[in-house]
Amino acid sequence: MKRQEVYNAWKEPKSKIEVGENFTQQVMNQICLYEQTKKHPLLNMQRFMDLVYAHPLAKAGIVTAGIIAGFIRMTLTVCVFLRT
Amino acid sequence: MIDEISIIRLVLEGDIDSFRSLVQRYEKPVIRMIRNIINDHHVCEDIAQDVFFTAYRKLESYDPARSSFSTWLFTIARSKSINAAKKKRTPSITNLPENPDLSTPGDTLAQKEFFDRLDKVLATLPTKLKTAFILAEFEKLPYEQIAQIEGARTGTIKSRINRAKNKLRSALKGLEENRI
Repeated sequence: MKRQEVYNAWKEPKSKIEVGENFTQQVMNQICLYEQTKKHPLLNMQRFMDLVYAHPLAKAGIVTAGIIAGFIRMTLTVCVFLRT
Repeated sequence: MIDEISIIRLVLEGDIDSFRSLVQRYEKPVIRMIRNIINDHHVCEDIAQDVFFTAYRKLESYDPARSSFSTWLFTIARSKSINAAKKKRTPSITNLPENPDLSTPGDTLAQKEFFDRLDKVLATLPTKLKTAFILAEFEKLPYEQIAQIEGARTGTIKSRINRAKNKLRSALKGLEENRI
């Protein structure tokens, strides 16, 4: 075999490639996952509301926090009123 | 067939699925280029996946006035392959299929020896020579495009490819002399 023939025979398989069947889908899945995390960040109001609706304890916690906040506000208003 | 600029515009406007056609269009050359640079079948698809994902994330920064999409994509692929090759210090040798037109076992053995030698020389080429050679010989890219990918002048690229070819040629010559 001549040198050029050997060189061409060596080059031939390197110019070919077999791509896995799911390659494109894997890339697209990765992109979709990236887009989802971009659209739904950890601090999302809708996600927070869903979480609260789904857990009775969370609901109770929110109501309690609201009552406490309201009570504090009322107390502060009364204090300010009494001072004046 | 929709042109690449229109596809890119669609993707940037939020049509993610349009990116699929770009992946399908370039998956083969990108994977092949990575495989030939790092000389490893097993990880080339993982790296290629990362290349396409990076291309998607950075698509806004792609400027069609500066280069074609393929040049831009190959530049990302080149840089990721070089990084992967640096991590993988010991290059493995590709198992090449035997050429069926050889008649005698002696020829097949000699051919394998030649192929192994060429693989070794290619694996040990300096990175700049190797990538330029792969882009020219296996991807059949024009010198101008290789120059853009490599960030060098066309003359420099021609010289790198010639140097790589000379090294491969001398490896073959050395083997022929040893066999005589």
